[in-house]
Amino acid sequence: MKTLKSTIALLAMAVLFISCGEETEDPQTKLGSSVAIEFDNFVGTSQVNLESEASTSYAYNTTGGQEFNLTRVQYYVSKIILTGENGEIFEDELQVSANADEIKGYYFIHESDNASKLIELTNVPKGTYTQITFNLGIDEEGVQEGAAGGILDPANGAPFWNWNAGYIGMTIEGQTSVIDESEFAIHIGGWKDIIPEDGTTQKFYNNVKTITLNLDVNMQVNSTLEPEIHIVTDIQKILGDVDFTATPQVHSPAVGRLFADNLESAFVVDHVHQ
Amino acid sequence: MYISKKRIQLPVWGLLLFVFGCQDSEMQIDDTYVFYQPAHFPEATYTLENNPVTEKGFLLGEKLFNDPILSRDGSVACSNCHQQGTAFADSQQHPLSKGVEDREGIRNAPSLANLAFLPEFFWDGGVTHLDFVPLNAIETEFEMDETIENVIVKLNKSETYRALFKDVFDMDEVTSPYMLHALSQFMVMMISDNSRYDQYLQGEEVLSSEELAGMELFESKCEGCHAGVLQSDFSYRNNGLDAMPLDSGRNRITENSQDWGKFRVPSLRNVELTSPYMHDGRFETLEEVLKHYNSGVQIYETLDPSLKSGISISDDERAKIISFLKTLTDRDFTRDPKFFIH
Repeated sequence: MKTLKSTIALLAMAVLFISCGEETEDPQTKLGSSVAIEFDNFVGTSQVNLESEASTSYAYNTTGGQEFNLTRVQYYVSKIILTGENGEIFEDELQVSANADEIKGYYFIHESDNASKLIELTNVPKGTYTQITFNLGIDEEGVQEGAAGGILDPANGAPFWNWNAGYIGMTIEGQTSVIDESEFAIHIGGWKDIIPEDGTTQKFYNNVKTITLNLDVNMQVNSTLEPEIHIVTDIQKILGDVDFTATPQVHSPAVGRLFADNLESAFVVDHVHQ
Repeated sequence: MYISKKRIQLPVWGLLLFVFGCQDSEMQIDDTYVFYQPAHFPEATYTLENNPVTEKGFLLGEKLFNDPILSRDGSVACSNCHQQGTAFADSQQHPLSKGVEDREGIRNAPSLANLAFLPEFFWDGGVTHLDFVPLNAIETEFEMDETIENVIVKLNKSETYRALFKDVFDMDEVTSPYMLHALSQFMVMMISDNSRYDQYLQGEEVLSSEELAGMELFESKCEGCHAGVLQSDFSYRNNGLDAMPLDSGRNRITENSQDWGKFRVPSLRNVELTSPYMHDGRFETLEEVLKHYNSGVQIYETLDPSLKSGISISDDERAKIISFLKTLTDRDFTRDPKFFIH
């Protein structure tokens, strides 16, 4: 309902604005333009190429030297914020809705669909931006709005845990030669943040990570420029020192935490097209 | 009259329309399908602003709730384990729920009364929003053993359902969030707020001296956990059923050994009707439940500290407490025709 409140606030401001009748800049120039964000998935220095589920070709190695391939790589990106050093700030609008067309600010990146890897932000105010921040996963604000459509619809492929209800922020699945059953699945989820009471130990693990990256250049946004931020996601870094023989299946927040802790270092801004 | 009093939460729009549209007529507002907040209840937790209850939405939810199309082989509906006569708990014959192919579940299906006011759902509290509750029943192999994807495929093949979803939500295609919204619209209306206890709280009913004595005993011996007007503090506790609990309970959700064998403190609304009791339905009568607290508590490391020495309840006190618990029965709710299959 934050959205509703901010809509009301905006409407109130608009009414105030109109009634005051002050001169303002042309909205076109004030709003600036669009900014694109492209996610590109890598394992170390190799670009990810998904294999079929029957494949026995293992193109990648973990840092510990276990060979593997990938059949599925997908993750949620949300709450995107761009900031600049002169007070520039752009906060992507957020809205959860049962109606797929009304979902805003939540993005589902999946390797098998190139279009999903490109996020288009619109109406970014003009200015100079130096940093991008986003959430990897869907936090409490998104989950607690209830059933949602489109990329958040479990009947439409949204990765979701029923039993500990919430979205799986990152899914990495594939095959490895080091175990007989060959298949592994790393599902990173869990969004509840509960501070332990006195005399108790940590309960729940909030694996939604806020990732802040510096842009490699001062990114100019105005009505004639449409910059593109190119972010590289390194699956090898997320897998860290995984031992597939010991941890082939990860399906709970407590175990997923070991991988969630690697997320912040797994994303880098490779470059910005100005 | 009680009815008019509890429905004070009519939407303002409705009132305005009434005032302006019907000034000279004797038209009554039909509030059968209007969600209301009982004044003495905790504030509703459900996101009604995302999914306001409408008559058509409620009726679609009711149809889904009673339709075994949600299960893999068309044999199990929500209503199999949640029956109005038992305040939408399971029947007494099913301590554990029965799913497709007569598969036995692991826990007792709880009452669905007053779900709109609960912070978390299921015995282990793993679900924190009502919309997501039915996904568990649909996809659990010993319940409906179906996938949500296939439920949506089946509903889209039905012209009746397509027409209903179009009519209720103006959607050309059935999708899971709208199906879940319809079910939630039906479930949030399961408000049980007209027991004799509620009427007593509103100053409209007199309880017998036995019931009042039971209420006092309840307040001194049970209210540490069964607190407030819904008789639950919504915490998770081990109430000493087993020296070595087999069902991990809350631990499954928190993944913390301090929560092993803990379950939600249930609301006691309509408890007279919701036998058998406990997460596994092991006690058939309220007498057995109270005897357990008096002399049956088993020690395990997560046992609730307040139960270390049990709760001393004499035979006489037990009878009085049970008299009080029976004032929580709401026959208006279990006989409310709006929940009958239309």
